[in-house]
Amino acid sequence: MVYIKYLVRVDAEKCKGCGKCANVCPTEAIQVQEKMAKVEDEKCLACQNCTGVCPEDAITKILRVKPLKLGVNYEEVDQAGIEDLCRKAHLHPKQWLCLCTATRVRDGAAAVLKGAKTPEEIALMTGIRSGCAAYCLMLSMRLLEAHGVELKQPKGYRWYKTTHTLWDVPRKLIEKYPGYFLEEDKDVFRKF
Amino acid sequence: MLQKAAPSVIRDSVYGPSAGKRVADLPGIVGLNLESLFPDVPKAIYVEGDDVSVIRKATENALKNTNMDKIKPNSTVNILTSQYGFMIMGGYAYTEMIKTIKEVVEARTGCSKIRLRVATGFRIKEPAEIIKHYGLKEYFKGQASPALFLEKGVPIETELGTMYGIAKIYDADFIIHAHHGELRELDMHRMMSRAIKPFSMSYARMETRSIHHMNFGPRSSNIIPRLIFESPFVQSKFTFGCFLETSPQGIIGVDADNDMDAIDRRLMLLAFKSYGKIRELYNEIRECIAVMDGTGEPRYMIGGGTTFGNLTEAELDLFDLEKIPVSLGYGLYEYPPDQPKLKSVNPCIKALVMNHFWLGVPQLELAAHIPTILVGRKIQDLVTSDCMNHKFIDYVVTAENLVTAMAFAKRLAKTENVIAFDGAFGAITCSQPLAEYFIERAPAVNERVNNVLMPKWLKQRGIDPATVNA
Repeated sequence: MVYIKYLVRVDAEKCKGCGKCANVCPTEAIQVQEKMAKVEDEKCLACQNCTGVCPEDAITKILRVKPLKLGVNYEEVDQAGIEDLCRKAHLHPKQWLCLCTATRVRDGAAAVLKGAKTPEEIALMTGIRSGCAAYCLMLSMRLLEAHGVELKQPKGYRWYKTTHTLWDVPRKLIEKYPGYFLEEDKDVFRKF
Repeated sequence: MLQKAAPSVIRDSVYGPSAGKRVADLPGIVGLNLESLFPDVPKAIYVEGDDVSVIRKATENALKNTNMDKIKPNSTVNILTSQYGFMIMGGYAYTEMIKTIKEVVEARTGCSKIRLRVATGFRIKEPAEIIKHYGLKEYFKGQASPALFLEKGVPIETELGTMYGIAKIYDADFIIHAHHGELRELDMHRMMSRAIKPFSMSYARMETRSIHHMNFGPRSSNIIPRLIFESPFVQSKFTFGCFLETSPQGIIGVDADNDMDAIDRRLMLLAFKSYGKIRELYNEIRECIAVMDGTGEPRYMIGGGTTFGNLTEAELDLFDLEKIPVSLGYGLYEYPPDQPKLKSVNPCIKALVMNHFWLGVPQLELAAHIPTILVGRKIQDLVTSDCMNHKFIDYVVTAENLVTAMAFAKRLAKTENVIAFDGAFGAITCSQPLAEYFIERAPAVNERVNNVLMPKWLKQRGIDPATVNA
């Protein structure tokens, strides 16, 4: 379970409505309307992205009155389905999906099996992307692709669809770069 | 051999409180001179506090044989920098190297459109802080900008497919790669394509950084910077690299070349000889209290001229390419296979005192593995609000001040061995008993690295040890 203790507030006096915050929000919690950033509180995971990129320092974190409780109980989902999805994604169910929140891949897989169709939906179900908001995005995209979900590039630059893994390296590259252990490193994963 | 400890300056930042009492000020803490321990490591030309003119001179000399013919008077050029260079000994040497590059390129090519790009990790506001702190906006006549991993990307077609760089990094006709040889995260780069790693990290969007960190193995991940660097897009813009050559003893010179493989090889040999020894020395520690007391996030805070991460993983010979590290990709590779854990932490660290540090990376493994003591309410507030470590605060206790924290840590750890990560190069800030232990163990470390480990590390990378002057 992930407890989101904070949310962000926009200072109307400072906000110029540039939209940089909306472009980096991992849950689409921010929309720019009438040249002003508006935050949907229930979607705000209080990561540092919007506060970090705001050129006017118009966005600040404040304590929630009551923490937002997020999480998916993987035990409620068919365990064979989780294992199968993780195997297709070349991920171990118990490996970390998000170290910031101490969330494991099996929780993300459960979110996908429960119907999440985008990285944003996985984040809102599990609470991931409330920290660095970066590395867990990649694993979320891999789980979705492994489940047959077609990733649709969002407008702007919230994320780019690119998920190359060790298993995508063609034979000619493996042979061209023998010093990089491109074949041997697959064994590390196979031990799972 | 023992001297007064000289910690590095702590820069002000929104990512940590202002500096208070330093560990170096405590009774019984000394600076153990590294040159006397490892006399065959090249001597430093600069340590913090020295006149930076030696860096200017070294940079000018290094650039003399660098070809800049691509750059024309009306070209636009981006000097690419990374936040960590500014954390090395207060950042003065790195800043001087960058300024010198600009002036030499202007003088040699007649080009006046030279801009600065400052990349970073997860501290989004850090590049702006750097630009302000070092007066770089004024120096670059307003042409100094942060380049962030979550800003607009630019596609880079590689032999593996499309990767994404940060658009601001590549928004010039040409780029200059201004970096440093500090070892930093050996668990990631393994001294494979180390010199070009920033092309898949600092200069890359978060998706591409993730491909490097999360989607490849502990050695194969280093193919990603190579594929990006060798892409037609990057090659069309790349001019040369210019590096601060570092060892735990300080800055030992400046290296520049159009050929990044040549820089990479020289960095590798220097790293084996210098960082290889400090890692092995840390591997000799059987019990200690580690103190975070500097600039940056704990894993990348400097003690004895190398990062804390090189103590937390000192028991693993990560230069050895046969070893599968347990730490890459957030516990991805940990044994036993059905129980992936957090990153491993060297069990010799019996207590961790966090006196000063910055937020910036997920680091739950530290608190989860080591009894950890925060110093003071401001650090406690910092940790409580850290979005990258939601549960860290659940594992730690807070002491009123540094003195009580150290006393508690010693009772807890039952050792007088203290090592501080306070940004010092050239000396290890530590307690006298640990200094004496290091002095006793250094000859064996020298012997082991020179005669056993170095030959192995070289052979694994296709280099005949007989061709290298060890």
